[in-house]
Amino acid sequence: MAIIERPSDEVEVVDQSTPSEATPETSYGVFRRPVETTGWKSWLFTIDHKKLGIMYGVVAMFFFVVGGIEAMLIRLQLAGPNGTVLSADKYNQMFTMHATTMVFLFVMPMAAAFANYFVPLQIGARDVAFPRINAFGFWAFLFGGLFLNTSWFLGGGADGGWFMYAPNSSVAFSPSNGVDFWGLGLQITGIASLTGAINLIVTVINMRAPGMSLMKMPIFTWMVLVVQFLLLFAIPVITVALFMLMFQRSFDATFFSVEAGADPLLWQHLFWIFGHPEVYILVLPSFGIVSEILPVFSKKPLFGYPLIVFSGAAIGFVGWGVWAHHMFASGLGPISVAAFSVATMAIAIPTGVKIVNWTLTMWGGKIKFTVPMLYAVGVIVQFTIGGLSGVTHSVAPSDTQQTDTYYIVAHFHYVIFGGAVLGLFAGMYYWWPKMFGKMLNERLGRVNFWLTIIGMNLTFGPMHIIGLQGQPRRMYQWTENRAGDGFFNIGFWNLVASVGSFVLALGVLLFFVNIYVSHRKGTEKAPLDPWDARSLEWITTSPPKEHNFDRLPQVGHLDEFFHRKYEDRGADGHHEFHQVATAEEVVAEEENNADAHIHLPSPSYWPILLAFSLPIMAYGVIYNLFLLLGGAVLALVSFYGWGLEPHTAPEEDYDPPTGTSMEVAAHG
Amino acid sequence: MSHQRVHDRTMSTSADSTSSLKIMSSRGRKAASTVAGLSALTLLAGCATDAPQDTWKPAGANAQKIQDLQWPVFLTAGIVGVIVMVFIAVCVVKFRDRGQPIPDQAHGKAWLEYLFIAIPAVILAAIAIPTVGVVMALNDTDDTECVINVTGQQWWWEYDYEVGADGTICGYAPSEVSASPIITSGQLVIPADTKVLLRGTSRDVIHSYWIPRLNGKRDMVPGRVHFLRLESDTPGIYAGQCTEFCGLSHANMRMETVVLEPADFQKWLDNELEPYQAPAEGSLAAEGETTFIAQCSRCHQVNGLVDPNNGNLVVSYPDQFVYSGAAPNLTNLMGRNTFAGATWDLLTPECRADVWEANPEEFGDKYLAGVSQDCLNEIDLREWLRNAPAKKPMYADPALLEQSDGKVRGMPYLGLSEDQIDQLIAYLLERK
Amino acid sequence: MADTAVHADAHADHGAHHTSTGLSNNKLAMWMFLGSECLLFGGLISTYMLYRGRHSENLGPDQVWDIPFTSASSFVLLMSSLTMVLAVSSANRDDERNTKVWLSVTSLLGALFVAGQVYEFTTFYREGLGFTTSLFSSSFFTLTGFHGVHVSVGIIMLMSLVGMISKNKVVGDKKEVVELFGLYWHFVDVVWILIFTLVYLIPA
Repeated sequence: MAIIERPSDEVEVVDQSTPSEATPETSYGVFRRPVETTGWKSWLFTIDHKKLGIMYGVVAMFFFVVGGIEAMLIRLQLAGPNGTVLSADKYNQMFTMHATTMVFLFVMPMAAAFANYFVPLQIGARDVAFPRINAFGFWAFLFGGLFLNTSWFLGGGADGGWFMYAPNSSVAFSPSNGVDFWGLGLQITGIASLTGAINLIVTVINMRAPGMSLMKMPIFTWMVLVVQFLLLFAIPVITVALFMLMFQRSFDATFFSVEAGADPLLWQHLFWIFGHPEVYILVLPSFGIVSEILPVFSKKPLFGYPLIVFSGAAIGFVGWGVWAHHMFASGLGPISVAAFSVATMAIAIPTGVKIVNWTLTMWGGKIKFTVPMLYAVGVIVQFTIGGLSGVTHSVAPSDTQQTDTYYIVAHFHYVIFGGAVLGLFAGMYYWWPKMFGKMLNERLGRVNFWLTIIGMNLTFGPMHIIGLQGQPRRMYQWTENRAGDGFFNIGFWNLVASVGSFVLALGVLLFFVNIYVSHRKGTEKAPLDPWDARSLEWITTSPPKEHNFDRLPQVGHLDEFFHRKYEDRGADGHHEFHQVATAEEVVAEEENNADAHIHLPSPSYWPILLAFSLPIMAYGVIYNLFLLLGGAVLALVSFYGWGLEPHTAPEEDYDPPTGTSMEVAAHG
Repeated sequence: MSHQRVHDRTMSTSADSTSSLKIMSSRGRKAASTVAGLSALTLLAGCATDAPQDTWKPAGANAQKIQDLQWPVFLTAGIVGVIVMVFIAVCVVKFRDRGQPIPDQAHGKAWLEYLFIAIPAVILAAIAIPTVGVVMALNDTDDTECVINVTGQQWWWEYDYEVGADGTICGYAPSEVSASPIITSGQLVIPADTKVLLRGTSRDVIHSYWIPRLNGKRDMVPGRVHFLRLESDTPGIYAGQCTEFCGLSHANMRMETVVLEPADFQKWLDNELEPYQAPAEGSLAAEGETTFIAQCSRCHQVNGLVDPNNGNLVVSYPDQFVYSGAAPNLTNLMGRNTFAGATWDLLTPECRADVWEANPEEFGDKYLAGVSQDCLNEIDLREWLRNAPAKKPMYADPALLEQSDGKVRGMPYLGLSEDQIDQLIAYLLERK
Repeated sequence: MADTAVHADAHADHGAHHTSTGLSNNKLAMWMFLGSECLLFGGLISTYMLYRGRHSENLGPDQVWDIPFTSASSFVLLMSSLTMVLAVSSANRDDERNTKVWLSVTSLLGALFVAGQVYEFTTFYREGLGFTTSLFSSSFFTLTGFHGVHVSVGIIMLMSLVGMISKNKVVGDKKEVVELFGLYWHFVDVVWILIFTLVYLIPA
C-alpha cells in the first residue's frame, strides 16, 4: 500500500528527542515546556485527551479492585450469622468506603475515561476544548482518590455511610478523621468532575466536525453531554453540603447540631438533590455505550435515535425532581411523599423507552454475538430487572417496607452493576482494539462475561429475598433468630450471596487475565475495523495518532463511517446495502488528504502542580492550617504559571507529532 | 491487500453464525431467567416463610394496606419483566447473523415508539392513583385511640405511655393510681384492635422505627416529632429493627412490639404500676439491691427503689454520664423478655420459643408470666454484666470521647466481680 | 477537498471563528461555570433562608443589620459593574489605557465593598455575633463569606489582568479576556443584589 507522506514542511522537524524547541522565553512560565512524547514525563505532563483517558481508566480499575476487596470483606462478614471477620467499626468503614470508592472513584472516572478518550474522536475533533483543564481534572481525581484512601492509615476511614446523614456525621458520633477525609476527598474529586464537565460540554457543543449537527452526533457523546450537564448542576449542591460538613467538623459551626436548632433533614435534601442526579451520572454513559454497540452488532441504526436522545435528556431533567424518593421514610409529610412518588414513576417512562428501543434495534437485525455485544445484551436484561424493582419502590408505601433493607441493595446493584458496570465492560471490550491496537481475547472474554453475569446474579439476586424477608442494610451482623427457616430463610441466601461475590470476583479477575493474555508478545495487531463499526472514532488508526485525524472528517450521516463503507443499491423502497469501501480505504483516503499545519496544544507542568496543591490544602484543614496556607500558595503560583503560559507553544517552537504519522505509514 | 481483508471478514462472519454453542447458551440463559422470574413471583404471591420480619406477612391494618397495594405492583412488574425478557430472547435467537443481507438502515417507526411510551404511561398511571390513596390513608391519624411516645437513642428504644386527659392509658384505667409514669424499653406493649399512634423522636442521631408486620418504617429524627401508626388484632410478638444507620451498634438496635388482648393489657398495665417491692432481708437479692444502688442506679431507674441505708428514694441521673441522656428503666425488666436494645433474650431458647410460638389465645398468659429463674438466659445476661461493650460495640471508652465530655454512648465496663453479678441477677430476677 | 482544509488549522482551544456554534470556547465555558455557580449560591441561600430565624436568645438579623451602611456598600458594588462595562467597551475600542484605568477602578470599588464587608463582619463580631454563635450566624457568614471570596478572587484577577495588559502578556484575545472577566464580575454583582434583597431587606 501507499506510504502516506505528510506535507513536507511537517516532516522537516522530525527529531523530537531534543526538547530545545520549546523555549522559556516563549512560554513565559517558570519552567520550559515539557515536550517528551515517550517515557513517564510524557504521561505526567500530557494534555492529550487519549493519554488522560487511558490514565483515568487505569486508576479507575485500580480503585475498582480496592472497592471490590472492600465488598468481598463485607460479604465474608455476612456469609454466616454473627460474623467476626470485621469489627463493627471496621464494617461501618468498609461499607462506607465501598460505596464511596465504587461511585466516585470507579464508575464516574471510568465513564470519564471513555468520555475523554472517545468524545473528541466521535465528534471528529483533535482534542478537547481545554486540554490543560482536562489534565488538571484527571490529576485532581487521582489525588482526591488517594487522599480519601489515606484515611485507612490515618485513624480509619469514614464510617457514616456514603450518604453521611447528619447528625451521625458530627464529631461526637464519628470521632475519627474518617469523615473529614471523606468530605474533603469528595470536594477534590468534585472539582475534578466540575472542570471536566465544563470542558466536555464546550467540546461537544463547539468542536464538532463540519456537518455534524447535534442530531447527527453519536449517541454515546449525547449521553456524555447530558451527564456533564447533570454534573455541572449537581456538584455545586453537594459542594455546599460538604462545606457545611467541614465547617461543622473542623470549625465548630452548628449546621447539623440539633441542640442548636438545626434540622437534620437539610443534609438529606442537599445530599439527594445531588445524589439522585448522581445515579443518572453513573448509568447514562453506560447507556450511551450500549446504544453504540447494539447498532454495530445488529448492523442496523439505533432504533428511534431521536427518542433515545430525548429520553436521555428527559431522564436528566426529571432526575432533578425525584430526589425525595430516597426520603420516603424520613417523615416528609403525605403531600410531598405522594408528589415525589408519582414523579418517580414518571421517570420510568423515558427509561422504559430506552429498553424498548434497544430491543427494537436488535429486531430485524443481523446480530453477531461478540463479547461487547454479550455485555450490551447483559445490560438490557440486568438493568430491566433493576428498573422493575425500582418501580416497586416508587410506590411510596411499599418503599417504607423496603427502604434501608437489602431489597434496595439488590435494586441498585442491578442498576449500577447491571446497568453501569456491565456497560463499561462492554465499552472496554468494544473499544480496546481502538485504544491499544490489540483485540482482547474473545474466548476468555466469553468466560469473563458469563462468570460476571452468574456471579452478579448469585450475589445480588438473593438480596431481593433477604430484603423482603426484612434484613436491614448496614448491619455488621445478622442473627439466626431473625433469619427464619423456610426456603427463603435469610441465612441460606446470605451464604449464596457471599459465594456469588467470589464468582463475580473471579469473573473480574479474568478480565485482567485477558488483558495480559491479549498483550503478550506475538499477539496479532487488531484489524483497523474489527467490528464493522459505524461512527467517526473508527476513521483513524488504532490507536489514533496524537492529532486523532489527519483531516477533520466531513460528516453527512448519523452513522458516518457505515455510510462511507456501504451504499444502498436498492430502488423503489427496496434496500440493498453493499460494501463499497474497506475501513483501510476510508482511512487511507483521509490520510491522503491530510491537513497541513496541525497545531496541538503543548504539554504543561501546571495542571498536575495545581491538582497537587488540593490534597495539601485538604491535609491542612485536618491537621495544620499552615499546611493549608502552603497548599494555597502552591495553587496561586500554579494559577499564575498557567495563566501566563500560551495554550500552544508558538509555531516556531512547536514540536509536531510527526512520530505517530510515521507509524501510520508503516502499517497503512 | 485490503480486498483480501474484506474476504477474510466475510469468512469469519459465516464461521460465527454456524456456531451453535452460542445459541444454546443464550437460550439457556433466557430460559433460566424466565424460570427465576416465575419462581420469584410464586414466592411473592405465596409468602410461605417465617422470618419474623417478613415484609410480605402483614399482621395489622396498616401493613395490610401496604400489602394490598404492593402485591399487584410486584405482579405487574413481574409480568412486564417476563414479557421484556421473552422479547429480548426472541430477538437474540431469531435475528442472529445467519448470512442474511444487511438490513434496511431505517431509524425507527414513529407509531411504534409512541405506543411504547403510551403503554408504560398507562400502567404507571394505574399504579400511581392507588399509591396516592394509600399514602394519604396511612397518614390519617384522626381516629387514633392511643398515643405512645417513642424515643430512639444509640442503641435502644424507650417507650413512654401517655396518660390521657381522662386519666387512662390507651383507654385503660389503671386499678391503682400511681405517681410513676410507665417508661419501658425494648418491647412496646400495645392492646389488640387499638389504633395506636407512635409519637417519635430521637435523642442523638436519626433512628428508624420499623415493625414490618405492622407498618412501614418511619425515621425518628432528633429535633423533630414524627408519627407512625401501629395496629394489630392478633396477640403475639412482632419483631423489628432500627433501619436508619445510627452508628457503631446499628445492628444491635432492635425492637419488638407485643400485642395483648384487652384483659391482658389491663393486667400488664396494673403490673407496671405496682409499687416497688424490696427484696427479702438477708437474701441474695437484697445484697443485689445494695450493689444495684452502688453500681447501676446512677443511670438506671427502678421506680420506687428506696435506699435501705438512708431511706431516700433513689433517682437516676443518666444525663451526667450518658451522652444521649438516658438509660433503660429497669423497674420491670423481667416483665419483658429481651435486654440491651432487644438484641439479647432474657429467656432461654426453649422458653423463648414457647412464648414466640404460642397461639394467640395462650400468648397473653405466657408473656405476662415474665422471666422465671428456670427460664432465665443467664449466659448472655452474665456476659453483658461482665463487660457490656465487649458484647455490644459502643463508644463506651471515655478515652475516645473527648468530643462528648467523656460521656459514654452505652453501658460501660463496670468491673463487677462474679459475686456482684450473682447478686445483681438475683435482684433483677425479682423486677417484674 | 479544499473546503475541509479550511478547518485544518483548528487549534484545540481556539477562538470564535472555528467553533460549531460561533461562540468562543472560553465564553461558553464561562457561561457554564456561572450556571454551576448559580446552584452553589442557590444552596447557600436556601440554607440561610432555612436557618435565618434560628438564633434562640442570641442576636438575630433584625438586631445587627445596618441597612444604610450595607445599602451604601451595595451601591459601591453596583457602580463597579458600571465601570466594568466601561472597561469592556474600552477594550473593544482597543483603548488600552482606558481599559487599564477602568479595570483598576472596578477592582478599587470591589475592594471598597470587601472592606465594607470586613468592617461589617468585625462590627457584628464585637456585638457578639461570631461564626459559631447560632445557626443564623453560621449560615449568614457562610453565605456572605462565599460571596466575599468571589469578589476578592475577582479583584485579584482584575489586578493581574491590568498587570498583564501593561506587560503585554495576555494570553489569547485581549478583548475577549476582558469580556470574560466582565461576565464573572457582573455575575458576582447580580448574586449580591439577590443576597442583599433576601438577607437584608426582607424581614426575617
